[in-house]
Amino acid sequence: MPLLRNGHLVTDNPWIRLDDDNAATTQTVDAGQQDAPVLVSLRRFLELQAQATHNVSGVYLSPEDDVQLLADHLHRIQLIVISFPTYTDGRGYSQARMLREHFHFAGELRASGDVRPDQILFMARAGIDVFEFAEDPDEQQITQILSRFQVNYQPSYALPVAG
Amino acid sequence: MYSYTEYDRDFLKSRVAEFRDQTERRLSGELGEDEYKQLRLRNGLYLQRKAYMLRVAIPYGMLSSVQMRKLAHIARVYDKGYGHITTRQNIQFNWPELEQVPDILDELADVDMHAIQTSGNCIRNTTTDPLAGAVSDEVDDPRPWCELIRQWSTLHPEFNWLPRKFKIAVTGALSDRAAIQVHDIGLRLVRNEAGESGFEVLVGGGLGRTPHIGQCIRPFLPTQHLLTYLAAILRVYNLEGRRDNLYKARIKILVNALGIDAFREKVEQQWARSKDSDDTFSAEYLAALQAQFPAAPLLGKLQTTLELDNGSHEAPDQAFSNPLFNQWYQANTRPHRDSGRRIVYLSLKAPGTPAGDITAEQMDTVAELAERFSESEIRSTHEQNLVLAHVPVNDLFELWSALKNAGLATPNLGKLTDMIVCPGLDYCSLANAGTLDIHDQIYQRFDDLDYLHELGDISIKISGCMNACGHHHVGDIGILGVDKGGVEWYQLTIGGHAGNKAALGQRLGKAIAKSDLADAISELLKAYVALRAPEESFHDAVTRLGTAPFKEKVYATAA
Repeated sequence: MPLLRNGHLVTDNPWIRLDDDNAATTQTVDAGQQDAPVLVSLRRFLELQAQATHNVSGVYLSPEDDVQLLADHLHRIQLIVISFPTYTDGRGYSQARMLREHFHFAGELRASGDVRPDQILFMARAGIDVFEFAEDPDEQQITQILSRFQVNYQPSYALPVAG
Repeated sequence: MYSYTEYDRDFLKSRVAEFRDQTERRLSGELGEDEYKQLRLRNGLYLQRKAYMLRVAIPYGMLSSVQMRKLAHIARVYDKGYGHITTRQNIQFNWPELEQVPDILDELADVDMHAIQTSGNCIRNTTTDPLAGAVSDEVDDPRPWCELIRQWSTLHPEFNWLPRKFKIAVTGALSDRAAIQVHDIGLRLVRNEAGESGFEVLVGGGLGRTPHIGQCIRPFLPTQHLLTYLAAILRVYNLEGRRDNLYKARIKILVNALGIDAFREKVEQQWARSKDSDDTFSAEYLAALQAQFPAAPLLGKLQTTLELDNGSHEAPDQAFSNPLFNQWYQANTRPHRDSGRRIVYLSLKAPGTPAGDITAEQMDTVAELAERFSESEIRSTHEQNLVLAHVPVNDLFELWSALKNAGLATPNLGKLTDMIVCPGLDYCSLANAGTLDIHDQIYQRFDDLDYLHELGDISIKISGCMNACGHHHVGDIGILGVDKGGVEWYQLTIGGHAGNKAALGQRLGKAIAKSDLADAISELLKAYVALRAPEESFHDAVTRLGTAPFKEKVYATAA
């Protein structure tokens, strides 16, 4: 699926998402696909913390997940995927903002699910920096949407506009 | 009042351009109706029964005369020559064409107005006391705080996709004229023992299907923490409010499910992390906002006593010999904190017109009168009337004459015919029953002004469905339209109240047929007149006596 990163659509996405019902251990996935980083659910990630060795560095969240549970582990995480089951479900905005502002997460925050061009301005301003679209959006339109507002009433994160 | 900076104007231009682009994409078919709906709602555009309706924001009810003239122009050019003041101090236009809405928003932006977040599941227009800055029972002027909340809540990156709509009301006075106890968040400016200024914060109030009186989450919040504390409440609600059922999605349901103590604990935990980081503002910024709301120049003596306005008003000055003027003066004006001025209500509850409606000609007249007599500003009230807040006492007769000619001097403020009425079945696609004809029926039955004045202040509030836009739960007499097998019936409640003694009305008995409604109200009033103690209000009488004696009277006759 196309990703919008730094204002450009890219297809490069090495991450492998491991569903909870996938019995594969994180070690076997790593052995089978050299260097492929792995994404697991919050529950599985927290379970893995008990293991001495694992190299899972990505977490996908569901809207119900309490991001405070990640607070002590963020130094091990490169990517957090925030899910928008429908674009009207705004819980992901609070998750993003808490991760950035309360816990100072500096890795990639990626929006996934029902991600639409007219929503990404809010997502970007809440701290999300990469957007996963179900199908290729109009890149020019995206640029226009992201560059329309020169001012805002709240402090916001830098917008991922090309250039 | 607040005047826009270049910053505000740049922002607003971008917002209009964004909506124009979205509307063009909708008209070309690129954007589906489902997605467009959410975008247009956040710009105040509803699809009603017969046409689109545009709800224009009047931030905390403050309008300049220039803005009022623009509203008149919009009513004339883009609508059928009138507008409708809502219970949240906004104005609605009922007949705009979709293609023209971006142009209307452009015209509004020319006078620093918009329709941002007047609908949709986001933070709505903040409402306040329509007498702010003009009354002596005020601890602090709430309007700079309302403006701060307006700016903070406008396109907030985190809170634009809430489980449901979210309404904040602020009062700075001892008498609550902003109904803060029936809002998602109610804020009351208070002073602590050290004389410092803060907010009492209420949460979880609201009407609708499941009415609740707001509960105190914090008795004293130092003012500098206002926005971070609001953000903490909003965040807990955004994360934990129900999204599975439209009717259980308001914050009141969450607060009551958790209990106020558990809810408070969650908010405090959030706030502990964010109180000094996100959403803060500087003291200088607030001072600059406060400077935008100067007092009207003093003409007489300043009344500074902080006493609860208990609703009693002094007799008119003997110098006024015209009895009609005296009647209006007594009913529609209130003391200003400056003894040289008077607060004047403009009744939008004239006979034969829908409650809250105002024509383009009346808007122009009001704009002109505001310039001549009231510092060029106008306020809208949640009871769907207008206020000229700073009228010099010596100009009252002249103002009254002009208002009378314009049909804006009906001396019925707070009286039985000063009804709050939602648009009902004639416009709204949610309504179960008509409200406009009910209003007319009651108005015609009780058009004897002497009788109305003998009754005293009494409120009738009419909603066409249980969403309660007409605030029937908090009327002395509440009327709720219900649909029974395709026939319109009306459920009565009595004893509700929206001010300091906020209370939800109690159901009187079984629903009443449309044709019997005025008779039923008549019996209620007879019971009240017969049973009331001297000076006792309708609300107090119901509190003292219960519903039984009223019920007996109404149903004995109806049966």
